[in-house]
Amino acid sequence: MTNHRIAGKGRVDHGRPVHFTFNGTRYEGFQGDTLASALLANGVHLVGRSFKYHRPRGILAAGSEEPNALVGVTHGPGRFEPNTRATVLEISQGLSTNSQNHWPSLKRDIGAVNDAAYMLFSAGFYYKTFMWPKSFWNKVYEPFIRGAAGLGVSPTQPDPDTYASRHVHCDVLVVGAGPAGIAAALSAGRSGAKVILLDEQAEFGGSLLSETDASIDGRSGWDWLTMAMTELAALDNVTLLPRTTAIGYYHQNFVGLCQRLTDHLADVPQGTPRERMWKVRAAQVVLAQGAIERPLVFHGNDRPGVMLAGAARTYLNRYGVKVGQSALVVTTHDSAWLAAFDLAKAEGKVVAIVDLRPNISSHLRAKADSLGIEVLAGWTVTGTSGRLRIKSARVRPADPTAGGARTIACDVLMMSGGWTPSVHLFSHTKGKLNWHEEEQAFLPGEHAEASRTVGAGNGSFGLAKALAEGAEAGADAASDAGYNGRSAQYMVTDETELTGIRVRELPTDQNPGKAKAFVDFQNDVTAKDIRLAVREGFKSIEHVKRYTTNGMATDQGKTSNINGLAIAADAVGAPVPAVGLTTFRPPYTPTTFGAFAGYNRGRLFEVTRKTPIDGWAEAKGAAFEPVSLWRRAWYFPQAGEDMHAAVARECAAVRASVGIFDASTLGKIEIVGPDAAEFMNRMYTNPWTKLAPGRCRYGLLLGEDGFIRDDGVIGRMAPDRFHVTTTTGGAARVLNMMEDYLQTEWPDLKVWLTSTTEQWAVIALQGPNARRLLEPLVEGIDLSDDAFPHMAVAEGHICGVPTRLFRVSFTGERGYEVNVPARYGRAIWEKLFADGQAYGITPYGTETMHVLRAEKGYIIVGQDTDGTLTPDDAALGWAIGKAKPDFVGKRSLTRPDMLKKDRKQLVGLLTDDPMMVLEEGAQIVFDPNQPIPMKMVGHVTSAYWSASLNRSIAFGVVEGGHSRMGETIYIPMPDRTLSAKITGMVFVDPENSRLNA
Amino acid sequence: MLLIHCPYCNAERPEVEFAYAGEAHIARPTDPSQLDDDQWRDHLYIRSNPRGLHYERWRHIHGCGRFFNAARDTLSDKFVTTYKASLPRPQIVQSEDTP
Amino acid sequence: MTMHPHHPLSGEGIALHKPFPLTIRPLADKARFSLRIDPDQRIAASAVLGLNLPGNIGDVAYAGEKTAVCLGPDEWYVTVPVADQAEIEAGFAALYAQQPHSLVDVSHREVSIGIEGRDAALVLQSAIAFDVDAMAPGSGCRTIFDGKAQIILLRDAKDRFQIDVWHSFSEHVWHFLQVVAREIELDI
Repeated sequence: MTNHRIAGKGRVDHGRPVHFTFNGTRYEGFQGDTLASALLANGVHLVGRSFKYHRPRGILAAGSEEPNALVGVTHGPGRFEPNTRATVLEISQGLSTNSQNHWPSLKRDIGAVNDAAYMLFSAGFYYKTFMWPKSFWNKVYEPFIRGAAGLGVSPTQPDPDTYASRHVHCDVLVVGAGPAGIAAALSAGRSGAKVILLDEQAEFGGSLLSETDASIDGRSGWDWLTMAMTELAALDNVTLLPRTTAIGYYHQNFVGLCQRLTDHLADVPQGTPRERMWKVRAAQVVLAQGAIERPLVFHGNDRPGVMLAGAARTYLNRYGVKVGQSALVVTTHDSAWLAAFDLAKAEGKVVAIVDLRPNISSHLRAKADSLGIEVLAGWTVTGTSGRLRIKSARVRPADPTAGGARTIACDVLMMSGGWTPSVHLFSHTKGKLNWHEEEQAFLPGEHAEASRTVGAGNGSFGLAKALAEGAEAGADAASDAGYNGRSAQYMVTDETELTGIRVRELPTDQNPGKAKAFVDFQNDVTAKDIRLAVREGFKSIEHVKRYTTNGMATDQGKTSNINGLAIAADAVGAPVPAVGLTTFRPPYTPTTFGAFAGYNRGRLFEVTRKTPIDGWAEAKGAAFEPVSLWRRAWYFPQAGEDMHAAVARECAAVRASVGIFDASTLGKIEIVGPDAAEFMNRMYTNPWTKLAPGRCRYGLLLGEDGFIRDDGVIGRMAPDRFHVTTTTGGAARVLNMMEDYLQTEWPDLKVWLTSTTEQWAVIALQGPNARRLLEPLVEGIDLSDDAFPHMAVAEGHICGVPTRLFRVSFTGERGYEVNVPARYGRAIWEKLFADGQAYGITPYGTETMHVLRAEKGYIIVGQDTDGTLTPDDAALGWAIGKAKPDFVGKRSLTRPDMLKKDRKQLVGLLTDDPMMVLEEGAQIVFDPNQPIPMKMVGHVTSAYWSASLNRSIAFGVVEGGHSRMGETIYIPMPDRTLSAKITGMVFVDPENSRLNA
Repeated sequence: MLLIHCPYCNAERPEVEFAYAGEAHIARPTDPSQLDDDQWRDHLYIRSNPRGLHYERWRHIHGCGRFFNAARDTLSDKFVTTYKASLPRPQIVQSEDTP
Repeated sequence: MTMHPHHPLSGEGIALHKPFPLTIRPLADKARFSLRIDPDQRIAASAVLGLNLPGNIGDVAYAGEKTAVCLGPDEWYVTVPVADQAEIEAGFAALYAQQPHSLVDVSHREVSIGIEGRDAALVLQSAIAFDVDAMAPGSGCRTIFDGKAQIILLRDAKDRFQIDVWHSFSEHVWHFLQVVAREIELDI
């Protein structure tokens, strides 16, 4: 492989070679190279196959706009990333890279048959080619399309890297560190404002890094850059973020930055995050994004070796790489001439400059003459040849009536169609873009945020304008942020004034119907496709875009949008602004999922709330289940037990002696104040006025719509103080709802609400021996049934620790709930468990709790109700204080819909086959023989094996269920249809005799 | 992420501290039993859902805990103003390009 | 018979010595109260507490080992030495007849974590969306940590913060701080 590097030239470190592989071949580059520059230095242009036609593709650009050179990268085991742009990938020692989209090899690719069959793949081919027969879609067309198309391959292993994020607040955020951005940061930084300057590239400087002509304040551009960056680095109030992309710009100057921290490093310290997402809130934003060069649209413009002239200039001046041995320049803009001159001065051969414009400035022409470059002004290019690399181009006068076509041999074609200001971030803010006919570009109009656009991104091309505009904007931004910003003057000399014209397709004498003149290289969209879309009736650019997929690839059309728009506008016969511009959306460049996920992986993905007793359960080998954010002990399997056996044993133990259960997750709210009882009366359906201190009541909470929201036992600790419990999952919702009514509807009530969910650990002791276990440990509370009956509450001590002791049962057995301050929960639990050995105490989990409560007909809000059940639907009409004038939801209970007889009502279900446990969520029908789709009349809400009854039990909602007692309903399942009888919901001890057993 | 001005804290705080709470200025009737079925339905379910200026409730749930009101433009998603829950709806003059 | 309290983060601790010292540790338990009272009665409540309750949301008052932060228009979060708990509860019980209020013991609801060092604010900035650096020393507020855990954040001094968080969320906060502390240690 020839080395195309010019010794000593550029900004790469010629003394530090870096070795890497591409498709298994080992290459050498230098520290500071991108994969693209290092490959070009080794003469490698062919780097991939295209998306649809599998055409050989090379390197088009030198920055993040690259549509072609996408590679798979391996940074080490498990660290594979597809679709990385070779133009932004910094090489590091041992980096392994591969081309994509071909089989069996990059040079011989079977898929390239698509290229020959291109007629099939024109715009909208998905909708046309694969329409018929319908049955072919799943088995033939879709697998074919998915196999043939698509970019890269997904990684197969979990990402081993970690990702960070950080909020940051600054006065002035400067996006882009080209000359305009640096000048802005200098002005703002000198004022003392807190400044962040970022650039997506490894090195700051932007366009300054690619050109060597002009000088600033009498210094070379590069010397000035060094000086400026030294000054900025020394300012404590300035943060410099290289390798950082501003991916999205949101309301109120909130900007997302993705910083790449480790990809460029060969050795990464353990625990270093790969990327960091900066979430910036800036008082002022300066956008200095620069401009992107437009390709020219002509037949064969995608052949490897065809690249943007500005990119070729960057490879030459910044990386010291000559992209070819004989270069043909094709342009409509002066800037490509400068690229040609630089190459010629570096002793590269420029065979000709083909410029569509007949009139070229004498200055450029003279320079070309002096460098011995042939100039073909008023000429066009009509095609290229060469299989894996351009070999020649056919050129001719643009005037179709003139003759004289020539074929010019070349190994690289440097093209320029002018420059498109990068307005992506500005567009994210919904700032209005205005079409500028003179610049042939959309430029930022009125800014929707506190921001300014400067430099080429604002249509102000050239170094002098960029510096002036940047310096002023930086100063103004600092001033607007409350500092004394002062602009600076920069004297730029030896700068060439550049002009150009914008064209659609280059004129040609060839059949345009056969031209493969690419507009969107990444999605393989040609000019012909866009014209076809317009012919087929798509007139809006948004429609043309979706029909042709122009601009819809991962590059978001950075190099194709304006060319596509111009062609569409021409086809429609309307001016460009009338056809419109598609909307730019975040992220600006492809961003890793890891960067978006940030810390939200593994154990930080979600909070796992644990009770004070959780550690004990874990040590005992409990199985856990998630209940809202909590993890709760589900059951406690003993050796050899499955869940079924464990739950059956736990259930039996509770009913026979005593079980111990961690109920700490129950929501708890302390309601205090002179109007506490009145507040309770208004919130809950039940009456509270007459509930005596020291007593509890089941409370039912509705929404204003009359549907059940929550329930729980509520103790009156004192006339002015209630201890409310809620469901585990409902705690935060209920407190929010209470605060809402209290603050906004009844602010006159003197009552205050405090969450005490986590103040208390709650230990439920349930079973006939519960009192015997508890009594010796409790001080200050008489536990006799007369003094402390079912639904009593009292304060006292247990083992010297203060307790709120409730006499409640969610099992049907005699039951106590011991509330102790959370730090003591574990110790009290362990004491009860130790003393409970005398009674064969059995720890039980949520599954046993569910079974025991279902046997007693107790509902679980959120399982047996779903937000559409009224108290009557749930057979809880008894919980309504009939005499109360009002409570939340009361008025809704008499709406006509709420009184309908065929509402879905909660009932018990007993399967005809007692061994069969129904599936929760299964649908219920009245007639199993009706045709499909059957009329579904309800569903199963709870279903368990009842050890007490030695049969299955269930709850379900059934239309008109309360008046269908004894009727049979059916539950169609995939393999059979089950039947069950509608019953009441209490399966065990309907007399409640066991509560005092 | 939006910044929202809490009229109780008198400070701009990040959106993550707040929770949306529906349309504002819909007072619960003092005596719901006096409303007929249609009136009660309207109270429960009928909302203005405007394109443009919307008066709505927010709660500084992870801050001072207060419910307050806001006028927000549903087109631009921008808050025009926020005010305490007890205050009447402020008069806001809309610019010409918002409905 | 003595029951021993069990602190959710007992035994944990993070200490970094580079690039600048940073310590993150669970703090000893104190008696903690949520006090709700009509702001017009602030003076009466202050007298009981032996501390001038601040009147503006976000302000913190210190008196010896007692601290009170104003969290809402009528809400204060008060921490006092455990030895003072009974006296304060009795004092407020006596005040109730003239001035109804709500004093709720939340000592066991919360876990306190101290973060101290030059980069303390930077550590928090990974989890907190507002400008932590702009918080005045001697101020505090309720906010949300990592978008997941509600906390009370106090800035006691320029380089010293305290997080109070419900105990079931404390493990998450702790693990998060561990991860971010590593970034500080690597100076990235």
